[in-house]
Amino acid sequence: MDIKTSILLWIPLLPLFGAIVNGLFGRHFSRPLVSAIGCGTVGMAFVLGLVASADIFASNGEARLVQSVYAWITAGNISIQLSFLLDSLSVIMVLVVAGVSFLIHVYSTGYMRDDPSHARYFAYLNLFVFSMLVLVLGDNLPVLFVGWEGVGLCSYLLIGFWFEDPAKASAGKKAFIVNRIGDLGFLIGMFLLFGAVGSLSIDDLRAGTAQGLIAPGLATAACLFLFLGATGKSAQIPLYVWLPDAMAGPTPVSALIHAATMVTAGVYMIARLSFLFAISPTASAVVALVGGLTALIAATIGITQKDIKKVLAYSTVSQLGYMFVAVGVGAYFAGIFHLMTHAFFKACLFLGSGAVIHALSGVQDITKMGGLRKKLPWTYWTFLISTLAIAGFPPFAGFFSKDEILWKALSSTSHAPWASWVHLAAYGMGILAAAITSFYMFRLVFLTFHGKSRLDPSIHVHHEMKSMSYPLAVLAGLATVAGWVGASLFGIHSFADFLDPVVGAAQKTAVVMRDFAHNHSIEWAAAVGSVAVAFIGLGLAWLLYIKSPDTPWRLAERFRFTYRLVFNKYWVDEFYEAFIIRPIHAFSVFLWRIVDVVIIDGFGVNGPARLLKGIGHVGRRLQSGNVQAYAFWLFAGVAGALLYLALAVGVI
Amino acid sequence: MSNLVSFGYIVPELLLGAMAVILFLLSAMRRRNLLRKTIFPGLAILGLMAALSVLVNRTSGGIFGGDPGCISGCSLFFGLLATDPLADFFRILVISATTICVLISIGSPALPKGRTGEYHGLLLVMCLGMCLLSAANHLLMVYVAMETVSLCSYLLTGWDARKCRSREAGMKYVLFGGVASGVMLFGMSLFYGLFGDLSFQGLHLALQGSGALSGAMGQWAATLSVVFMFAGFGYKIAATPFHMWCPDVYEGAPTPFTALLSVGPKAVGMALILRFFYSIFLFPGSMETVIGASGQIPWLLLIGIVSAVTMTLGNLAALVQNNVKRLLAYSSIAHAGYILMGVTAGGQEGFEAVSLYMAVYLIMNMGAFAVVSLVEKASGSEELQVFRGLGKRAPLVALVMTIFLISLAGLPPTAGFIGKLYLFAALLERGGFWFLMLALVGVTNSVVSLYFYARVLKSMYMEKADTDLPTIPIRNPAAVTATALSFATLFLGLFWQPLATAARWSATLFH
Repeated sequence: MDIKTSILLWIPLLPLFGAIVNGLFGRHFSRPLVSAIGCGTVGMAFVLGLVASADIFASNGEARLVQSVYAWITAGNISIQLSFLLDSLSVIMVLVVAGVSFLIHVYSTGYMRDDPSHARYFAYLNLFVFSMLVLVLGDNLPVLFVGWEGVGLCSYLLIGFWFEDPAKASAGKKAFIVNRIGDLGFLIGMFLLFGAVGSLSIDDLRAGTAQGLIAPGLATAACLFLFLGATGKSAQIPLYVWLPDAMAGPTPVSALIHAATMVTAGVYMIARLSFLFAISPTASAVVALVGGLTALIAATIGITQKDIKKVLAYSTVSQLGYMFVAVGVGAYFAGIFHLMTHAFFKACLFLGSGAVIHALSGVQDITKMGGLRKKLPWTYWTFLISTLAIAGFPPFAGFFSKDEILWKALSSTSHAPWASWVHLAAYGMGILAAAITSFYMFRLVFLTFHGKSRLDPSIHVHHEMKSMSYPLAVLAGLATVAGWVGASLFGIHSFADFLDPVVGAAQKTAVVMRDFAHNHSIEWAAAVGSVAVAFIGLGLAWLLYIKSPDTPWRLAERFRFTYRLVFNKYWVDEFYEAFIIRPIHAFSVFLWRIVDVVIIDGFGVNGPARLLKGIGHVGRRLQSGNVQAYAFWLFAGVAGALLYLALAVGVI
Repeated sequence: MSNLVSFGYIVPELLLGAMAVILFLLSAMRRRNLLRKTIFPGLAILGLMAALSVLVNRTSGGIFGGDPGCISGCSLFFGLLATDPLADFFRILVISATTICVLISIGSPALPKGRTGEYHGLLLVMCLGMCLLSAANHLLMVYVAMETVSLCSYLLTGWDARKCRSREAGMKYVLFGGVASGVMLFGMSLFYGLFGDLSFQGLHLALQGSGALSGAMGQWAATLSVVFMFAGFGYKIAATPFHMWCPDVYEGAPTPFTALLSVGPKAVGMALILRFFYSIFLFPGSMETVIGASGQIPWLLLIGIVSAVTMTLGNLAALVQNNVKRLLAYSSIAHAGYILMGVTAGGQEGFEAVSLYMAVYLIMNMGAFAVVSLVEKASGSEELQVFRGLGKRAPLVALVMTIFLISLAGLPPTAGFIGKLYLFAALLERGGFWFLMLALVGVTNSVVSLYFYARVLKSMYMEKADTDLPTIPIRNPAAVTATALSFATLFLGLFWQPLATAARWSATLFH
């Protein structure tokens, strides 16, 4: 095994090491040392990732490294290796995850400087990076699933990081439980695939798919179950409800886990199994449809939210919807492309919001901000750049990736007969959501940074810290330039070409291209259209929040029902509470009071226990202490044995 | 093999015998206090270690690859004794058990101070008898070795003559043991009368059914005698319904000796049953069916029934005991039942499981008795109530006891779990309705047994101590031994492969 292959194991191991050291001994270390261990291990993982991926970059994505560490589970005909795979897809994920994590670790050294549980925070954060790297490097679904569960655990731990506050602790529980519902789907999907192919390694699954071991109906079922897992982890309809609540965690955590990395795991998983989703047009269409719907609905909720982090949370849900549209319409590379650009600009936005919150000592309500442009210049400019990126203004990164998705949705159609309208619908919802995105993002910028200050006069605005400003600058820079690697409008296809060895084959077979798919004029027209809607959103936001800041409240009064519907997030949480949680809770109480206490404990456990004890008393009575009786039993035994043998042989 | 050559193979027994003689002679002399305290246990351990080292030296090549040693056909003294892996494995077990017994006897109040030399001498003679019994290949040898073990046991059970209970136990043991020996001897004499031979090989050939005795009458006569002999063997391993002596004797005997009594005779009894049934009734090399002239007689099922009844009765009776020693006595009856599951399963797997479980059982059961001995020494009683609050008073002792109890209940990560795993695996491997039923009975019994082991745990950790219960000193050989045994219990629960290898080697006789 050459050195580059044996490096793979160390990429996740380094952050794990950091997590263990900080978790066990961090309390006794000084804060700079804890920070150095936290940042250093992640930074080294990033460097190792670069070293390991040199060949893959050199061969433009053709090369791949596989490291098999040991046979993890062997039982009967199951043999699962603990093995890691680095190909062009995982290279992008590893570098994005490790890179963004590193920046956010650096930012955290400033943001969490005064927190009493500093070491615990870094231990969890490192553990998260470890799990996420295992997830993206896993060479088979069980290893991927270990990472998948690991990030879920860390997400839970970090959402409830300030667990003294019951609301935050219960937000953590909500995230965990909703994710578990999705995980059940993931597990069932894995079982189905194992049943069909007899292995869960990516290569075997790919080969099995090619050999036709997976029947179309089974593929659809497996894909839909896996997608259920993805909707949990990546906050899509119907399981998106946990993500807005997850904002209870520290803001860098929201940036890292609930925006840039973990929530994209579902997209990654589908891209990783693109060969499988490609043979199921039905499942792909469902993915695209759910993605489009989520993108639109989450965007509308974003309009009405007043908490700066909640706006960004719904924006994340909405952007993840775009990625699912991409992988649903067979444009796997576009999904990963948007995943990458989104990681940069959304991390930047979250960290920017964190900088605002930090400067204002905890204020999160944007109606109580305003005019912060002068006081927080670094934050303002980086936030603005990222807003331009997410709203889809060229030449920022979001424009290219989002436009790629919309164009692919427009220029293709599904194989499934029932779903011929799905791609067009996804496009429609996507373009509408794009306008709304632009609107709510600029609403956020204008309310926070422009206009007159509405701050509580008692609040003193803190200075910006360098450890927080530099990561913002780096991310804003990436949010500007990262889109250029895939600017297909200008004939640059390097990103698509790089991923081609992994997802190219699936991309070609997943969907039917429309006849105008290669017509550049129409592609340009579509791009102009999406820029136009971005401008409409920007203009509306300017009109409502700069020109006449009273209008929004009047509109809200006028369309009172609609406003309340959207502001209350369509009452989805209340719906779940009434129709899912309550009935399950009632059923649990029934199981406890009746089934457990009365039936199992009463008849099942205590009854036999009393019976056995009674027999025990009888048995004790046999032991009379009388030796003659003992001898009698000995002879009785001999006689009994003879009787039995005689009966068994049939003499008597 | 001729007698002169044969002596080379029984060096361990010779060493034990020689040391026993030395001990008896020394104790007959006028002695000073200083000498008495350390020299007798020291000499006993010296003898045991010498025997053990000879054995280990002889077998280590065979266990871990290399020379398989003298597997079969190496019969000594014109067929009286066999020398094979099975014998050596169980010899190592009983010598280890005796060593542990000597260690936990040091400082035990149950042993009268004046006669330490005889006590250790008798222990060595009993060990010698057990070694011979595990190698006995001839019914005459079986009888002589068994009587050696029994006579020493009678004496040692009644050793604490100051106590009425001890004397009573010794007397009961003599009476019951006498009856059992008589029954067994009757079976043997019938056998001799039928076949004119007492060696196992001879019996095997006779039962393969040539001549007049192959008919129905011959079979029945043979069956009758085997059942009588089985009563004698069953008494040694305390299988129901030949177990009745066991609770009274275990309770009355000095606790350190009870520890040995609960594992040593049981181990060699199991070895004897394995050797007897499988070398008489089975062709070497075909383990799957009981064949020969007694082909139709379901010996395996008979043993299976005894196994099921033994463990059920042992466990159920243990449920209602309030004396920990007596509780462990019933528990050891139940364990005889578990081990018989392996005998019933038969085959390489079954024997391997028996050997493995016997070793595991030795460690955890002697450990549990060692703790009882410690508690008894400190508080003068072994009732359940003196265990109250042990978790607070003597955390180390309580922890050690917890490990033994968990292991006896067969829960991971202890050796007891691995032992049960092998036993059940052997039964499942064997398959067939009755074997699966037996496994089911075994599993159910394990669940039941959890209750009474947990009662001791509850007493130690969850019940308040009576105010005047003393703490337990831990700087003595018995406590150290118990702690070491608890380590072994945990260690074998995690890395049992070496022991499993040795157990597999011990079953090579039946390839």
